[in-house]
Amino acid sequence: MGKSIDLLQGTLDLLILKTLALEPMHGWGISQRIQQISHDSLQVQQGSLYPALHRLEQQEWIASEWGASENNRKAKYYRLTDSGRRQLEAETAKWERLSAAVAQILQTA
Amino acid sequence: MKLLRRLRTLFNKDRLDQQLTDELQFHFDKQVEQNLAAGMSPEEARYDALRKFGGVEQVKEECRDAWGVRFMNTLLQDVRYAFRMLAKNPGFTVVAILTLAIGIGANTAIFNLIDAVMLRKLPVERPSELRLVAIVDPGSAGEPDPTFTNPLWEQVHDRQDVFSGVFAWGGDQFDLAQGGAVDYVNGLWVSGDFFKTLELRPSAGRLLTASDDQRGCVGAAVLSYGFWQEHYGGAPSAIGSTISLSTHPFEVVGIAPPGFYGTEVGNKFDVAIPICAAALFDGKTSRLDRRSNWWLTVAGRIKPGLSAGQLATGLRVLSPAVFSAALPQDWSADGQKGFLRQVLVAKPAATGISSLRETFDRPLELLMGVVGLVLLIACANIASLMLARAASRQKELAMRQALGAGRFRLIRQLLTECLLLSSAGALVGILFAHWGTALLVRCISKAQDPVFLDLSLDGRVLGFTLAIAVFTSILFGLLPALRATRVSLTWAMKGAQAIKSARAGRFHSRHWIVATQVALSLVLLVAAGLFLRSFAKLATLDLGFDRNNVLIVSTNLNTAKIPRDLQFSTCEAIEGRLRALPGVTSAGRSVMTPVSGSGWNGLIQSEWSTALTRRRSIAWFSFVSPGYFQTLHMTLLAGRNFNSGDTHTAPAVVIVNQTLARRFFPNLNPIGKTFRIMDIAEKPGAPIEVVGVIKDSKYRSTREEASPIAFFPATQIPGESEADTFELRTAIPPSALVSAVQAAVGEVNKQIPIEFHTLAEQVNDSMVQERMLALLSGFFGALALLLAMIGLYGTLSYLVGQRQTEFGIRMALGAEPVSILRLVMRSVVSVLAAGVIAGVGISLAATRVLQQLLFGLSAHDALTIIAAVTVLSVVALVAGYLPARQATRVDPMVALRNE
Repeated sequence: MGKSIDLLQGTLDLLILKTLALEPMHGWGISQRIQQISHDSLQVQQGSLYPALHRLEQQEWIASEWGASENNRKAKYYRLTDSGRRQLEAETAKWERLSAAVAQILQTA
Repeated sequence: MKLLRRLRTLFNKDRLDQQLTDELQFHFDKQVEQNLAAGMSPEEARYDALRKFGGVEQVKEECRDAWGVRFMNTLLQDVRYAFRMLAKNPGFTVVAILTLAIGIGANTAIFNLIDAVMLRKLPVERPSELRLVAIVDPGSAGEPDPTFTNPLWEQVHDRQDVFSGVFAWGGDQFDLAQGGAVDYVNGLWVSGDFFKTLELRPSAGRLLTASDDQRGCVGAAVLSYGFWQEHYGGAPSAIGSTISLSTHPFEVVGIAPPGFYGTEVGNKFDVAIPICAAALFDGKTSRLDRRSNWWLTVAGRIKPGLSAGQLATGLRVLSPAVFSAALPQDWSADGQKGFLRQVLVAKPAATGISSLRETFDRPLELLMGVVGLVLLIACANIASLMLARAASRQKELAMRQALGAGRFRLIRQLLTECLLLSSAGALVGILFAHWGTALLVRCISKAQDPVFLDLSLDGRVLGFTLAIAVFTSILFGLLPALRATRVSLTWAMKGAQAIKSARAGRFHSRHWIVATQVALSLVLLVAAGLFLRSFAKLATLDLGFDRNNVLIVSTNLNTAKIPRDLQFSTCEAIEGRLRALPGVTSAGRSVMTPVSGSGWNGLIQSEWSTALTRRRSIAWFSFVSPGYFQTLHMTLLAGRNFNSGDTHTAPAVVIVNQTLARRFFPNLNPIGKTFRIMDIAEKPGAPIEVVGVIKDSKYRSTREEASPIAFFPATQIPGESEADTFELRTAIPPSALVSAVQAAVGEVNKQIPIEFHTLAEQVNDSMVQERMLALLSGFFGALALLLAMIGLYGTLSYLVGQRQTEFGIRMALGAEPVSILRLVMRSVVSVLAAGVIAGVGISLAATRVLQQLLFGLSAHDALTIIAAVTVLSVVALVAGYLPARQATRVDPMVALRNE
């Protein structure tokens, strides 16, 4: 846990969109997935996930519906919308440009 | 889409909240499940899940923020809370709403009247293009005169090139009855292009056109929508029917659109007929060709693209040709020169024209100020009440602050309450205003000439009401809200008493509020006093005649088609019959009655005073029968009354009033002396011998200075006129004689139209402006006094309540009740003194604008100011004494136990 990184603002949104790009998922699943993929190096306070989800839903980048979970409990599933997909692409491109630029600076300096 | 979602969230808030809880619960349960699987004890698993998740309520709140409804939500919350608080205290709420309703209602009513009289545009297409044409004499400083003769109007119509359309109209009254008691309708003479240029469309049938307004026309009539509904029930069969106007038949060709009442604000027309039809009414010397008969108003629609300067130039260029073609041939050389010098000018006419504006614009502005002050006083009262309430809610507010409510949030909540109060006040106020305005219109109406105004509430009036509602809520709400939220938490929790007694002795904001109220009320009382005294002076003025118990019977022998040479004997016969009626003590007749609004004057010349200016040579004339003076109780001071010897062929004689005698026969006995009347070409006529002198009396208005009046015998009237107005002094109420008079006149000739008035009503009508100001300023002055009294009483009761402990201790230590009483009354007196001093100062400065509206009274009338101060002081001391006496009844034990 010692080497975990605090999330930059906006990064959480990107991670959520990316996660949902694979398949619709409920909040708990998203939080698990982010931890797994980042090999526990990204520390997300679980609670802070939900305001982000509701914000993205208001932006209409993701949509939600109630469905049955693995053990047949009712859960709220989120999925990426078309405009969300476009947003993800744009954000990804932006992120790549930014990290490339930062990497460049770090190497040359 | 997003807005829709937000609104949905707003209305589904409870369901969404539940879903949010479910969602988070699911997450939490999953975490617990995972922890259990990892081998934690159930308790440890729950604890770990909570820790990993973070503050649940905080997350929920952030999610709600994400919905974007927090603002709306708290607003709803505030409103709901405000409703609850107001409902909890119905006494306060009702008093506050009623106070505001009176204040806002009064303001709305007066503004509605101002809007209707002065601001509202005519209900026609593009009213801003309309211009009124008026005549200016560059040689004199007078106002532009908007009246035209028909020859002048025809010249303007034929020659003008600055208007895309030009039209003329004149108001008149037409009698629907065929003889007997008159049944007047408001008539409008209109030129052929009147409706076309105003771009009005008929409700039914057709409107008058240029082809209806040709010399020699047979007459067609257009009815107003209201008249059609009232008299024909809106039946289509009205079109094509015949309507009799002063015994002349007219065919109804169409109905004007609803909402169009004419171009004159304050009047509504019932029937419009073409100007050419005047020939049918007038006979051979019709006003169509009379060059000194001013009866038309002219307006036009400015040509598109023409500037105001181009319009003025166009009219100026036009003027010489117009005036020379319509020159009155019989005028003196000087008069003709003046006539030809005149030029035409244009004035904006989007709001129509109105004689009401000249009479009432200043009084209305003044009343707007008065009701503004009333509203301020009302606000001060409510601010006082709010302060008292805020103090009693201090514990509650402190508690909420201690629990984390921000100050801004609390202020917002308190202001929401105020806004709710003033909105309710505004709603009730609009109701008050609705009948208040109707009352106001009655107030400015004359018995003989009722005012009609379109009083529908338009956007401007509603906007005004909304604006003052918001403004007042800030005015009375902000200070209490700021004070209430500035509390020391610890003190407040310990108990409000402790704070208050810490600064009980100070002259604090509540005192200032009351002092302001006292000052403002005093200003209103002084104004009310001035107007009441002014009106009283006018109403009790010696008019030179006795207005009571005189019935005026106006007839028109021309309408009854009685030949000219039989008219005199007909009048004699009627006068004789009327005098013989039971209940009539004396009767007379004349060409006109005093203060009726009409007049007849001329220049006179006497050889004993030759140096008079032209203006001072003017005398006012009347022609009367011998019974006239006795009937009006006018006192003959010297000489003799007219008698049967003063016939048509006898030497010309005259009875003059004191002013005429003094001016034209200075220091001489006028009896037996003569003067001459100048004719229209200003040549002196034959000498007329003075046979009597009568006491000065009013002629045109009650406000006028005494002016020279000459009474001639009815037998010696020149020209076409006849003394056909009869005056009856009655021993019974004048109205009881109406049917007997009708029968008596009918015996002479059934065709004669008869109109009834009383002299008292005629005199009252001439004081309508003064009466309105006295009535309204008196009403609002009393209202202000009442509000100030309530304010003072409320504030003192509250302050005494706050200082109960202090008084208790004082009394326990041996203070006499009298000294407590003195203590409280001292603050009453200091508040009163501060208010009175400020009020007198403001009154002295402000009442100067009233001077013009006062009669026989200085705006700084000491008696009025002293009376107002006295009334206010007595009322304030009584309002202050009641709570002060309460203070002396404090039981020391009870007061101390409270602590």
